[in-house]
Amino acid sequence: MRTQFDLVIIGSGAGGSPIANRLAKAGKSVLILEKGPLFRPSYQAPGRRSEFRRDELISDGPEKILNIDGVANKGASYYSSHVEPDLNDEPHVYRGPDSADRATIEGYTAQVVGGGTQLYGGVSLRYTPTDLRLKSFNDGRADIPDDVRREARDWPIPYDVLDRYYAEAEDLVGINGTRANQIKPFLTGDHYQPPLSPNPISQYAKAGMEALGKQLGSNIEPYRTPLAVITRDHAPSYRTVPKDPETAKTSYVNRYGDPLGLKSSTWVALLSPIVKEGHDFEIRPNCIVTRLTNDGAKVNRVYYLDPAGTERFVEGKLVVVACSAIESIRLLMLSGAESPDFRQRINGNGLLGHYFLTHCFGGARALVPGRFDKSKALDADYATDCCATDDFLKAQGLWAGGAIYNNTSDQALPLSMFRTFGSTDLDSLWKAFMGGMYPQPDGTTVPMRGEGFVTYLDQEFGRGLSVSFMANQVLQRDNRIELHPTVKDKWGRRVAYVIKTWHPHDKKLMDVFANQCGNVLRLGAGNDPSFFFEGQGGIYSGDTALARMANHILGGARFGTDPNDSVLDTNNRAWNFDNLYVTDGAFMPTSGGGNPTMTIEANSFRVADHLLTRV
Amino acid sequence: MPVRIVEKDDQDFLNLCTKYLSRAGDPSASAEAWRFPVIDVFRGSPLDPNDPDNEVVFIYKAAPGTTTQVGVLGSFATLYQTVPLKPVRFLGEDTGYFGLSVAVPKGQAHIYQYVVDGKLTLDPINPQRVVLENGKTWSRFFTDSYLQPMVLELWELKLLYRLTEQILPFRVAEAELFLQQFYNYLDRQDKDASKVYRLDESVGEVNAIDKLLAREERHRLSDYHVCLKQIDTVLRKRNSSMEPSELSKEFFNDLYNDMAQDAANPANRIDGWDYGAYANPPFFLYILRRHAVTGAFAHPKYAGNVGAAGWAYLSEKYFEVKDGQRSTLFDWRAALEKPLGTNEDYL
Repeated sequence: MRTQFDLVIIGSGAGGSPIANRLAKAGKSVLILEKGPLFRPSYQAPGRRSEFRRDELISDGPEKILNIDGVANKGASYYSSHVEPDLNDEPHVYRGPDSADRATIEGYTAQVVGGGTQLYGGVSLRYTPTDLRLKSFNDGRADIPDDVRREARDWPIPYDVLDRYYAEAEDLVGINGTRANQIKPFLTGDHYQPPLSPNPISQYAKAGMEALGKQLGSNIEPYRTPLAVITRDHAPSYRTVPKDPETAKTSYVNRYGDPLGLKSSTWVALLSPIVKEGHDFEIRPNCIVTRLTNDGAKVNRVYYLDPAGTERFVEGKLVVVACSAIESIRLLMLSGAESPDFRQRINGNGLLGHYFLTHCFGGARALVPGRFDKSKALDADYATDCCATDDFLKAQGLWAGGAIYNNTSDQALPLSMFRTFGSTDLDSLWKAFMGGMYPQPDGTTVPMRGEGFVTYLDQEFGRGLSVSFMANQVLQRDNRIELHPTVKDKWGRRVAYVIKTWHPHDKKLMDVFANQCGNVLRLGAGNDPSFFFEGQGGIYSGDTALARMANHILGGARFGTDPNDSVLDTNNRAWNFDNLYVTDGAFMPTSGGGNPTMTIEANSFRVADHLLTRV
Repeated sequence: MPVRIVEKDDQDFLNLCTKYLSRAGDPSASAEAWRFPVIDVFRGSPLDPNDPDNEVVFIYKAAPGTTTQVGVLGSFATLYQTVPLKPVRFLGEDTGYFGLSVAVPKGQAHIYQYVVDGKLTLDPINPQRVVLENGKTWSRFFTDSYLQPMVLELWELKLLYRLTEQILPFRVAEAELFLQQFYNYLDRQDKDASKVYRLDESVGEVNAIDKLLAREERHRLSDYHVCLKQIDTVLRKRNSSMEPSELSKEFFNDLYNDMAQDAANPANRIDGWDYGAYANPPFFLYILRRHAVTGAFAHPKYAGNVGAAGWAYLSEKYFEVKDGQRSTLFDWRAALEKPLGTNEDYL
């Protein structure tokens, strides 16, 4: 069994795969260790049948019961995907508003080759130049709370440096969308494939976004949301599209792996091409890395459990940790727990795990006039940057902005309609439906059964339209990942403990953005008597507000130019190690105003260029 | 019958089982034990366009180096003929896992045991077991779209049909008419009408619940046994002259309303319900609501939504007319595999 490689990467998602792709193509020997299984798209699978299925019970499966001692929600039901961890085996625990600990399904991306890029909706936005310089942007502003300004950070690399890596990621991963009307510069031009036709229900979102731009005075218009779904034959990955590319629209999208491999997971876009091309690349699925050891400044061994649970190790000249922010930080902390020297090197300044971030997110939902076949859709059709401009932020007294886009595939299929009825997070699926009462547009409530069930279907089926925002979250040092003092996983290793709160300025921002999302719907369709506005809001309220992460798990090992203020240097190398890099979302000093995957991938291509100078 | 083995490589077996079986401690411990043996889509070749088979993937787990031979003996193959599982290796090293994939027709249930180093052994992972008339216990599995009752008795199934029709939309006149036409159409299409198992004009949701309770949600089976017993008692008390499942719709409507009341309030107590046996009737309705719609609208492989009747109801009900042409607003067939759907690329 081979144990020595130029590069060992832990995790096969957005943070690790771009590096594997680049270094393998350059002739380096690369090994990826991945905890999850390798599930292939149909064109690679035996019998041409993928392990990913279009089956509504695969994304949020049958009921399981939480059975973990020491958490307040022991006995609760949960419903997870076939590639999410079993919560009883490997929980994430968060501290709730009553200071009691609870396990949550939030914050896990996916345990499968490709990681979160298998299950994501594929929204592939760039961050804006302002997103990367929020300290400078807020310096001297009197309208922003002191602590928000004080904690804000600029990224150590400007947008101009990241731009060409964005372009490269868009090319190699395979993204469709439109560039016009985005406020982000595209210094090397347009790298998108053409989008598919939008779902007709999105016309209201488009009209509303156009009207909102006018109302705000910027006249910024919407664009087609960049999505990681190929719509044309894609040479870098060897993927070809069906005769009619529109058949990619199925609404079995968000939280489903794509059996056809048209969705651009890192497996189909970045890893399987280097397997096909015969480079010195190996991936070991079903192998969980348990600890790193070091010899001075060098990480000398990566220990993992093979599929049988037998401990093995490999050695890499360079080691990249990229198994999603929470798990990466946990792995570094567990390694430190076994070695004071490792701990001192990775966390000498006490910052590891701190400044953990997700996003401020939320939105608005309405029943729109008419009825549409939502079962033929991708995750989002239109997006607008009209709430990400410097002028907007100053006018609203906000420290940072975000993107707004409409969701198209939500509640498109029957079971997803029922289980997400009245629910906005993964911890509360089915609850409102099981409760059985339907609040009608006319203000009365009917039991949701028999005739009442028909009423509910008539009102809601094919009529729901939601508009979401994804915006920067304020930096707070105490928002952090720790090792839980008592709860352990099935291997006896301490699990990750998520401790975070929403800053008052986050709440203000979410209120502003939720209202703008509401405005999109009101301006887009509000004059029609059959329009019914269901509500708007940010995710800071509700029982599970402190668990909410949108599976955007960022920060905790931020990069920077000052070793006293960051965990990683500008090349994502841990300051006091010579060969240890962290390249998943953990490196982000701020969370950005959009879904993070495209930026994680772009940055990993940047780091890959640096790594090539070292092996 | 001769066994049809579907070739799989070591990686394929590990992809199916590592997450659930690999752990510290007891080698027979697992997560989601109901997943074993794995009832999967058929991946052999050629693929029959009618897609009649599942693959059933047997996985046996031992500590590495402790077991030399594992076979499986079962009613899916010629009885008394042990089919060997192959040792699964990881990069040339022993994993302790043994695997075998065989093609088994959909709609069947089978019993089996492992033969581990010569010794008959029940599947230590799969909790589904049956006791035969000779008193011997065997492990059991069933494939997709299995239409016979499995864990609920006939009187329980009949009562459940009456309860789920209180929840689902199919008893509204318009829906009843649709389902009659739909089943007439299916019967004409498919001479083998036994495939459409139904006690009533439903979409088979109760059959799906029976399967869910037999496998994925076994932990809810006792809720059903206990509550259906209470319901039977209450209804007999309310009308002693008829079988409870034969009572009019009004009895079930009243019962549903009574059960939905907050049980903590003594004024809401249902006469005849044993609160010592089941304290919280609303909780049973809470589970039943999720199960009823899951059975009615999940993929037909789960043995409800028979002939995709639940989906057809929605796709007939919601349509638009453009330029004189009627087109559905729930075109579910376009995304799905043949023969159920019409997608050319998704198998």
